[in-house]
Amino acid sequence: MAIKNPNLYRSRRAVNATVMAMSVGATVIGLGWLVLVLGALLWNGFGSLSLQVFTEMTPPPGSAGGLLNPIVGSLMMSIVAIAVGTPVGILAGTYMAEYGRYSYLASVVRFINDILLSAPSIVIGLFIYEVVVRPLGHFSGLAGALALAVLVVPVVVRTTEDMLLTVPKELREAATSLGMPRSHVIAHVSYRAARAGIVTGVLLAVARISGETAPLLFTALNNQFFSTDMNAPLASLPVVIFQFAMSPYADWQKLAWAGALIITFAVLALSISARALSAARRAQ
Amino acid sequence: MTSMDVSVGNGGTGANGNGVHGNGPHSVPTPIAGNRVLEGDLDEKVAVRGVNFYYGDNKALKDITVPLYDRRVTAFIGPSGCGKSTLLRILNRIYDLYPNQRAEGEVLLDGDNILSPSQDINLLRARIGMVFQKPTPFPMSIYENIAFGIRLYERLSKSDLDGRVETALRRAALWNEVKDKMHANGLSLSGGQQQRLCIARTVAVRPDVILLDEPCSALDPISTAKIEELIDELKTEYTIAIVTHNMQQAARVSDFTAFMYLGEMVEFDTTSKMFTSPVDKRTQDYITGRFG
Repeated sequence: MAIKNPNLYRSRRAVNATVMAMSVGATVIGLGWLVLVLGALLWNGFGSLSLQVFTEMTPPPGSAGGLLNPIVGSLMMSIVAIAVGTPVGILAGTYMAEYGRYSYLASVVRFINDILLSAPSIVIGLFIYEVVVRPLGHFSGLAGALALAVLVVPVVVRTTEDMLLTVPKELREAATSLGMPRSHVIAHVSYRAARAGIVTGVLLAVARISGETAPLLFTALNNQFFSTDMNAPLASLPVVIFQFAMSPYADWQKLAWAGALIITFAVLALSISARALSAARRAQ
Repeated sequence: MTSMDVSVGNGGTGANGNGVHGNGPHSVPTPIAGNRVLEGDLDEKVAVRGVNFYYGDNKALKDITVPLYDRRVTAFIGPSGCGKSTLLRILNRIYDLYPNQRAEGEVLLDGDNILSPSQDINLLRARIGMVFQKPTPFPMSIYENIAFGIRLYERLSKSDLDGRVETALRRAALWNEVKDKMHANGLSLSGGQQQRLCIARTVAVRPDVILLDEPCSALDPISTAKIEELIDELKTEYTIAIVTHNMQQAARVSDFTAFMYLGEMVEFDTTSKMFTSPVDKRTQDYITGRFG
């Protein structure tokens, strides 16, 4: 077909080229920062990484040491937070997607959950400080875990609801048509169909909480000694990184880099497994 | 019309006159000579009487009265949106899953009104099974897909359960294709196989009535032929209702045909009568492809 108006066509091509150049540029800038951050992290963190980091306590300034107590503290608080937050989140998500799907209450819960999802985590920390730390009179690992659990819940609620909503209604109808009671339909058909998605949500929640510092500052505080007592102040990686990175001591700063690297790789590993899981679900 | 019981006592011995068509939906068909409908007596397994159905304020079915005869296939035809599927969804009360959907009137299953609030709906659904347009295998193994429904209402030994699963798969003409991969995921089967798996699953719980909502519309012609054969086979034991957009399919598989239009039951009669000399002009127009 002959081009009727070559000028119009040329200007359209020019607009296309400009917009494409702009979007590519924006992508490069965005990714560039990420590469720089990861690069700095690897450069500084990798050099500080050693076996010592995983086997020794946080040192006083000027002596050698590792990050064993904050690593253990972070693991403990994350595990408790997930153990508390996941059932609550899954059950609430189940209510919203299954039992209360068309109810007014579900839409109210959804709205509140979305607010909670975007609430600044320092606010959550202050909340737990008010309701747990002050009444008990001391900072504790348990309070830290609870603050993290409050962060876990909305993430899990959201993904559980979303994943259950993607289960085709025909599947529920077919199960119901066999005479299956609703609880069976949910437990054996809906959950099974949405399983990979729900697990992905939990992994995302782990990734979300593993770098949180603010909610731990007012709750778990910190502990320079090794401790597994959830009823006492507990060290955690983010808080130790915060403390060490701000310090003037070179060996503390090196440990902060190592800690940052450990968290980043742990989250990266989780994200990759979450991706792999959802890919497996799509392939099914 | 109060009593819909139709008993044809001449057991296939000969003509019983032509199909007498009454006026409108309440007419009782008299089978035509030579039609297989004549073989055996006609028992009204399900009686739909004066049923109205609402989606919110929207009235989707208007005063529907229609029988489903025991061990016969009844086809529901009509243009999209005429209420065929809605009617089927009333029969096992699957509409109950959704708020704002409401049925009025009576649906009698062996004389008991299933629309009454005292009806246990899970037991009802175990008696009236349903197969949907889109194949819906559960996300579990082929074996579990079938065993799952059986276990809901029966406690069987492993070997009895295995037997029931095999029988159901044989009845659905799927056994030979899956017997070596019973533990493969049901979703790994082809579309036609999945649909037969769904039929097997429904048959396995031994319902009285099987509802088929456009079971072949997502299938290729070979799978369709297999399922039609299957329907023919299944009707020796079950009462079957099938919704279909395919007129040839209705003519091939059914004994009775109901034509619905805009939420009304326009005409109900034996399939041969409906396809050769329908009374209502709208039926005739639809069957000959003038609209719909």
